Amino acid sequence: MFRYRIIYAKVGPARYISHLDLLRVFDRSARRAGLPVAYTQGFNPHPKMTFAAPLSVGTAGEAEYADMELARDIDPAVVKSALAGAMPQGLRLIEVDRTPEAAASLMALVERATYSARAELASPLRDEVLARAIDSFLARPQIIIERQGKAGAKKEYDIRPGIFAMSGCVNNDIIKIKAELKTGSSGNVRFEELLAAFLKESRLPLRGRLSLTRTGLLFRGAEQG
Amino acid sequence: MFFGYTIILGICCGEKEIENMDLLDQILPLVKKPARYAGGEWNAVCKNWGEVDLKVAFAFPDVYEVGMSHLGLQILYGIVNSRPDALMERVFAPWPDMAEKMREHEIPLFALESKRPLRDFDVVAFTLQYELSFSNILYMLDLAGIPLLSASRSEEYPLVIAGGPCAFNPEPIADFIDLFVIGEGEEVINELLDAVAGGKRDKLSRKELLRKAVEIQGVYVPSLYLVHYGEDGAFLRVEPADSSVPARVKKRVVKDFDQVSFPTSPVVPSTEVVHDRMMIEVLRGCTRGCRFCQAGMIYRPVREKERGTVLRQARELVRNTGYDELSLVSLSTSDYTPVQEVVKSLLDEHAAGGVSLSLPSLRADQFSVDLAKEVQRVRRSSLTFAPEAGTQRLRDVINKGVTEEDLLAAAGAAFREGWLAVKLYFMIGLPTETDEDLDGINRLAREVLSLGRKAGVPRGRLKVTVSVSSFVPKAHTAFQWEPQAPFEALKERQAYLSGKVRDRGLTLNYHDAGASFIEAVFARGDRRLGQVLSKAFELGCKFDGWTEYFNLEKWLEAFKSAGLDPAWYAYRSYGYDDALPWDHIDPGISKRYLAREHQRAMEGITTGDCRTGDCPGCGLCGALEIEPVLAGSERDV
Repeated sequence: MFRYRIIYAKVGPARYISHLDLLRVFDRSARRAGLPVAYTQGFNPHPKMTFAAPLSVGTAGEAEYADMELARDIDPAVVKSALAGAMPQGLRLIEVDRTPEAAASLMALVERATYSARAELASPLRDEVLARAIDSFLARPQIIIERQGKAGAKKEYDIRPGIFAMSGCVNNDIIKIKAELKTGSSGNVRFEELLAAFLKESRLPLRGRLSLTRTGLLFRGAEQG
Repeated sequence: MFFGYTIILGICCGEKEIENMDLLDQILPLVKKPARYAGGEWNAVCKNWGEVDLKVAFAFPDVYEVGMSHLGLQILYGIVNSRPDALMERVFAPWPDMAEKMREHEIPLFALESKRPLRDFDVVAFTLQYELSFSNILYMLDLAGIPLLSASRSEEYPLVIAGGPCAFNPEPIADFIDLFVIGEGEEVINELLDAVAGGKRDKLSRKELLRKAVEIQGVYVPSLYLVHYGEDGAFLRVEPADSSVPARVKKRVVKDFDQVSFPTSPVVPSTEVVHDRMMIEVLRGCTRGCRFCQAGMIYRPVREKERGTVLRQARELVRNTGYDELSLVSLSTSDYTPVQEVVKSLLDEHAAGGVSLSLPSLRADQFSVDLAKEVQRVRRSSLTFAPEAGTQRLRDVINKGVTEEDLLAAAGAAFREGWLAVKLYFMIGLPTETDEDLDGINRLAREVLSLGRKAGVPRGRLKVTVSVSSFVPKAHTAFQWEPQAPFEALKERQAYLSGKVRDRGLTLNYHDAGASFIEAVFARGDRRLGQVLSKAFELGCKFDGWTEYFNLEKWLEAFKSAGLDPAWYAYRSYGYDDALPWDHIDPGISKRYLAREHQRAMEGITTGDCRTGDCPGCGLCGALEIEPVLAGSERDV
C-alpha cells in the first residue's frame, strides 16, 4: 500500500459536513478521481483513510490533514490534480505528499491547533479594551468549564492548561479572536468552550454569533505558533 | 439518455445569496444535521440567475435525507438543468428545529443551490409521493411566505405545481396547487416549461397561462373545474368550467422508456441519506395486477430498458458519482427480462472496483434468491419478501401471485445460502380478511423461522422480522370501492398478532393504525378536505409520516372544525356506479376492468400477467396508443 498525506481546506458549505460523513465524501471523491483507494478486508470493507483531529460541524478549516492509502503507487502531483477536480464545493486540496506507511498516525501526531473567530460588533469596541479582557481572562489560574460526561453527568474541567495563546483585534465593526489550543486525546480544548467561557466573563457587544475557523494544526516537534 | 450540461457551471454567488448565506451561517451551527441545508454537493447545478429565463424549484415535502433518495427528483433535475433557458434547484422540508430558527431570524424558505427564497422562483414544483406529506406542503409554502391557497396567490407569486402518484387523486390538495401534472414527468415537464416561458414572453396573466396549459395532455388545473355535491353531502361530480377544458385528464406516459432522459450525473449528497447509492431504473410499470396496488395500475404499461442501456448508464454513474453501490430499481426487479445477464455483466465490470449491487424489490421465489446470491458476492444484508397475506385464499383475493411453496422455497434457500435474517411484509385489514388469515401470518413466520433453524443458522443470529402494514384503499385500483377496516378493528388485529407472533428470533413491527386511517381519508378524499388540511396545518400538523410528529387528535380536531367526518371517507363502500372524486383523472386503464377485477377478487379468482401474453383487458394500450415493451424484443418507436 502507498500512503499519502493530504492537506485540505474545509470551507463554505463543506463546513457542515460532519466528521462521520467526511470519510464517505473523501472515499467517493477519490473514486470519482479514478484513484485506486485501498480498503480494509472483510464483509464491510472501508477505505483506509484517517483524519487528524475532528473538526466541529460548522467550523471552517484552512489546513486540515488526512492520510489516504492507495493500492498503486501514483505520483502525488497526479493524485492532487485528480482529487482536486472531484471534491464537492468547499473542500479544496492544498497539498498531497507521500508519507511512509510506518509513520505514526495523524491522530497521534497532532498536538495543538490554531483558531480564529470573527463576528460583527453591535457597538464600537476599542482594541485595548479587548486586549485587557483577554489578559485578565488568561490571568486566571483556572478556567473551569462544564462538560457532559459519557453517562450524561456534568463534569467540571479546567481548560486553562490547554490554552497556549489568545489574542484579539478590532477592525471597524468586526472583531477577531485568535487562539492556540491543546488538541488530541488528552487535555483537548475546544475553541467553542474557550469562547463561551471568555464571552461569559467579558460580555463583548457582539451582533450575532461568532463564525469559527481552525487555521492550522501543529504537530509534535513542530514550531509553536 | 442524459445530455450533460451545456451551460457553464458557475459558482452561485449572487448578491442575494451572499446576504442569505451570512444569515444562514448564524443559524446552521445551531440546528441538527446542518448539511441538510448547506448545498454544495457533488453534481449540484448552480446556474447564473442572470442568464436563465425560467427558475424552477423542485420541492420535496419531507426532510432532505428522504427527498434526496427519490429518483424522480434526480430525473427532473437533470432534464430541466439541461435546458439552456431554465434552471432547477432543490428545496426540502426543514426539520422543525430549523424552521423555528428560520422564523426567528426571518429567513424565508430557500433553495439549496442559490439560497434564494422560494418566492423568487417562477415555478415551485412539489412531488406528491404519499398522502401523509400533504401537511408539509402547507408547512413549506408558509415558511416560504407564499399564500397557501391557490386562489389567494397574486401574479407576483410563483406558479405552484405538483405531480407524482398522489396526483392521481389530486382533489384533497387541489385548493393549494395551481396545476397538476398527471403521469410521467420526463416529457411533459418540457412542454409545460415551454408554455410558462411563452407566457412570460407574451406577458400572459396567471389565468391565461393556466388556460393555455390545459391544452397539454396530462395537465390538470383544478380552478378550471367545478365540484358538485348532493344535498346529503355525497360527492356528485367534477366538471370542467367550460367546453374548452377537457372533461377528463389523460395521464402522460413515456413511450420510449429506453431512450428517455435518465440522470447519470445525479447530485451526490455529502451526508448520509436513506437510499445512499446509485439507482438505475431498469423497468417501469408492473402488470402483475395486485389488486391493492396503485403503482401497479398507474405506471402501466411495462417498459423495460435495453441491456446495453443499463450497462452504459451504470458505467456513467460509477464514473460520475463515486458511489460503491448500485441499485437496480423498479416495482419488481426480478421481472426484468434480462435481469440475470445484466447482473452478471454489471458484476463482471464493476465488482473489482468495489461496487456492489442491490435488488430492492424481489419476488418471493427460488429464482430471486439465486439472483440475490449472485448479487451479494461482495456484501451481505437481509432478504425481504412480501407475501402480503397469510393464506392462499387471501393471496388469491388480492391477486398476489406468490404461493406458500414459493415463499418457503425462497426462505429455505436464503438461509442455506448464508443469510441470517429474512423480512416478511404483510398487510392486515384486506377485504374479506378473517382470523384465519391472521393465523396464517403467524404460521408462515414460524415456518420460515424453523427453516432457518433447519438450515443451521445459529439461534442467536437467526432473525425473522414480520412487518405488518394496514390496507389503505387507493384510487384507480380494484379495491378503490372497498372500505378500510375500522381503526379499532386494526388495533385489535395488531394486538391479536402481537400475542401470537412471539418467539425467540421473531420480531413483529406494525404501522400506526391512526396514520393509516388518515392516509385512507386522503387517498379517496374530495376537494372539501382542503379545509381540513388548512385547519390541521393551523393546529401544527406536519411531518405526518414521522411517528414523532403524527398526531391523530389534532387531525380529528381539524375534521371536526371543518364539519367533515373522516370515517365517512375511510370506511365508505362505493358502488360501481357511484361517482368517484377521481373519475376525471384518466390513468388509461378502464373502470370496467377495475370493476371486473374487484368482482374476481370477491370470488377469489386470480388474473394473469399480461407479460405472458394473456391480456387481462385493462384497456390501457388502446386508450394511450402504447404497448408493453420488453428488453430484447423488436421495438417500434
